[in-house]
Amino acid sequence: MINNTRTSHEIHATPPGDLAIWFFIFAELLAFGVFFVAYAFARAHNVELFNESQQHLNRLSGAINTLVLITSSYFMVRAVAAIKQGYSILCARWIASAIGLGFVFLAIKMAEFHEKFSAGISLSTNTFYMFYLSLTLFHFMHVILGMVILAAIMLKARNGSYSPANHTGVETGASYWHMVDLLWIILFPLVYVIR
Amino acid sequence: MQFQSQAVAKPYFIAAIGLFVGQILFGLIMGYQYVVGDFLFPAIPFNVARMVHTNLLIVWLLFGFMGAAYYMIPEETETELFSPKLALLMFWIFLVAGALTIVGYLMVPYATLASMTGNDILPTMGREFLEQPLITKVGIVIVALAFLFNISMTVLKGRKTSISLVMLLGLWGLAVFFLFSFYNPSNLVLDKYFWWWTVHLWVEGVWELILGAMLAFVLIKVTGVDREVIEKWLYIIIAMTLITGIIGTGHHYFWIGTPEYWQWFGSVFSALEPIPFFMMTVFAFNMVNRRRREHPNKAATLWALGTGVMAFLGAGVWGFLHTLAPVNFFTHGTQVTAAHGHMAFYGAYVMVNLAMISYAMPMLRGRTANSGPAQTMEMWSFWLMTVSIVFITLFLTAAGILQVWLQRMGSTPLGFMAAQDQIMIFYWLREITGFVFLLGLVLYIWSFFCKKGEAQTAA
Amino acid sequence: MDTPHEPHFIRPCTRIWLVLMALTCSTFAIGETGWSGTAVMLTVLGTAVIKVEMVANYFMGLRRTRWLWRGIVLGWLILVSGLITIAYLMTVK
Ligand code: HEM
Ligand code: HEM
Ligand SMILES: [Fe+2]
Repeated sequence: MINNTRTSHEIHATPPGDLAIWFFIFAELLAFGVFFVAYAFARAHNVELFNESQQHLNRLSGAINTLVLITSSYFMVRAVAAIKQGYSILCARWIASAIGLGFVFLAIKMAEFHEKFSAGISLSTNTFYMFYLSLTLFHFMHVILGMVILAAIMLKARNGSYSPANHTGVETGASYWHMVDLLWIILFPLVYVIR
Repeated sequence: MQFQSQAVAKPYFIAAIGLFVGQILFGLIMGYQYVVGDFLFPAIPFNVARMVHTNLLIVWLLFGFMGAAYYMIPEETETELFSPKLALLMFWIFLVAGALTIVGYLMVPYATLASMTGNDILPTMGREFLEQPLITKVGIVIVALAFLFNISMTVLKGRKTSISLVMLLGLWGLAVFFLFSFYNPSNLVLDKYFWWWTVHLWVEGVWELILGAMLAFVLIKVTGVDREVIEKWLYIIIAMTLITGIIGTGHHYFWIGTPEYWQWFGSVFSALEPIPFFMMTVFAFNMVNRRRREHPNKAATLWALGTGVMAFLGAGVWGFLHTLAPVNFFTHGTQVTAAHGHMAFYGAYVMVNLAMISYAMPMLRGRTANSGPAQTMEMWSFWLMTVSIVFITLFLTAAGILQVWLQRMGSTPLGFMAAQDQIMIFYWLREITGFVFLLGLVLYIWSFFCKKGEAQTAA
Repeated sequence: MDTPHEPHFIRPCTRIWLVLMALTCSTFAIGETGWSGTAVMLTVLGTAVIKVEMVANYFMGLRRTRWLWRGIVLGWLILVSGLITIAYLMTVK
């Protein structure tokens, strides 16, 4: 079965994937949004402390992690493309690579946490570190959740449960994973760079 | 009624309503003591009446949840209950233990009750909502375990729907978090810290799962909307509840000696807690608008819609009002808290139980719905109770704002009692409105005995 | 015989991916210079805003949906980045 209809100019009524995941995504955006804004206003009350503490962050690992997540996100675009052409195994491989990069992200992040924790830094060190640790930890858990979702979809793809006609599941997982990427794209400059 | 064993729900519902009446009577006693301080002195001191009022509330809500589970689960799983006998046995144990505890509260001084019931061995008493003597707490655990065993076995052998799974998860969570009531560290900060693991994680965590499942069940029944649609909503609501509610516990950790970051965590996450309540309202209205059948039980539909709206108002709006740390700094422990407590408990848990009873009780008595006049009466009771809770909430909110203003702001703040004297008028108004509430409750009960008109019999 | 053609969105998305990588490097480079000030802050935040829109419209595929969905994400983005900007400008003066 080959899907040969061009859809490029078609406007869809709903975003790709299950509509339910989109309500979830919007709620998540709201949660992170509140947190980002809280960070900015907390900083406004304590600029010196924030600027000083920010210098001790590992900006390189933050930047590499951005590249990792963006690339992983791109792999999910390829996974969706593959299943639209009916290539189940190829789709599963792209998802596996996306998950693989997820592990790279987690490893780099854990090295960063390890560095901070062994320097005796905790949530109570100061307001900057409170935000740095909680924002990144909260995001960290979302990466894990995203990977779990992707893993479930990968298994289904490998079993041939998706087809060009029926691939909502892949798009649902991809949408969530893009959101995880999207949030980090703001988090990185906000916490690591802007001063 | 599709399954014989659903009948065990009936005594649970009857007991729930009976205890509800008791709760309201003690609320009225306390409300009067607020304005006439020595009313019923020394027979029923305020602190005892308060304990009876709140404990009866919790216990009748638990009766309601259990009854609801016994009614829903056989229908959802399409199989008879694992053991109806066990369910009835537990009913009597729970009822007798509950009654003895209340009698204990009223008959002996609390300290004596504590020493009589082994509080020296494992001190667990003396904390709001968890005042029950050790033996009662142990009894609750035993009843809960037997109940969960019964329900879980039923689900295991039958069809597994998302409603029954969410209900089961909520009920297990309820039991697990109750275990923290046995943990009472002598450090006051830690004591409070874990106390909220029971209290907050109940009403803003696992109970919300129960609420969602019960609401979804009633909505499926009265609207005939596809299960798939309802299930999707249920999952999103549950996910949002847990994401916001768990860390949202932090809104109780602002001033009790916990680390400062809780002011941020608590404010941010609990500020998002209204979202799942809002979704529940949208969900309820959406389902009713898409209904595929006209169920004769209009009263139950009204209760279900009311639950969505009032839970959002009481928990969502009134909760948000004082949940940000800079606001809570002023309102903590004032009448604003009591205002929120009343509307949230009523709007979410009282109403969902009344919705379930309203739907299930006629079925248990062999009809699809009560007669037209009976339903009209029930709708009157809906409006009387709901409007009076709204007014009680408004009066208490006004009292609370004035209290904050007089007692905690300005250059010459008044003392606690001096401030109370200034807001006495609102306590009078609250008490009067309380009687209207009682009237509504009486009508609710009466509507089930209304003989006028033809009851709709099962098709 | 028909052969499945490559979905139309791959090429644009590949280009977007490369741009996103480049923009990330530029943000990192600005961070390394240690520059600060309003213009730098606005550049870095502006870059992030553009990147988010790219991810939302291309990777998430929102540009092929009704405006409602793009609008929600865009509205969220403007609100959040706007408030962040206000918070930063409060401190310069
Ligand atoms: C159905 C759900 C809810 C119920 C039944 C409920 C009930 C209560 C009760 C009884 C109290 C008083 C506890 C005490 O100190 O004795 C309380 C306190 C509080 N609730 Fe809720 N609540 C609910 C949901 C919410 C939500 C969603 C929010 C936030 C958006 C919230 C915010 C608060 C806050 C901030 C306090 C502490 C007030 C203080 O500092 O004195 N509640 N709640
Ligand atoms: C369904 C109806 C009701 C529910 C769910 C309910 C629930 C509660 C709860 C949760 C509390 C503890 C509040 C806190 O600590 O902040 C409480 C306290 C109280 N309730 Fe109710 N109640 C109801 C009806 C009434 C009525 C009708 C009255 C009286 C007119 C009343 C009078 C009181 C009083 C005086 C307190 C004590 C407040 C204090 O300690 O300052 N309640 N109620
Ligand atoms: Fe709470």
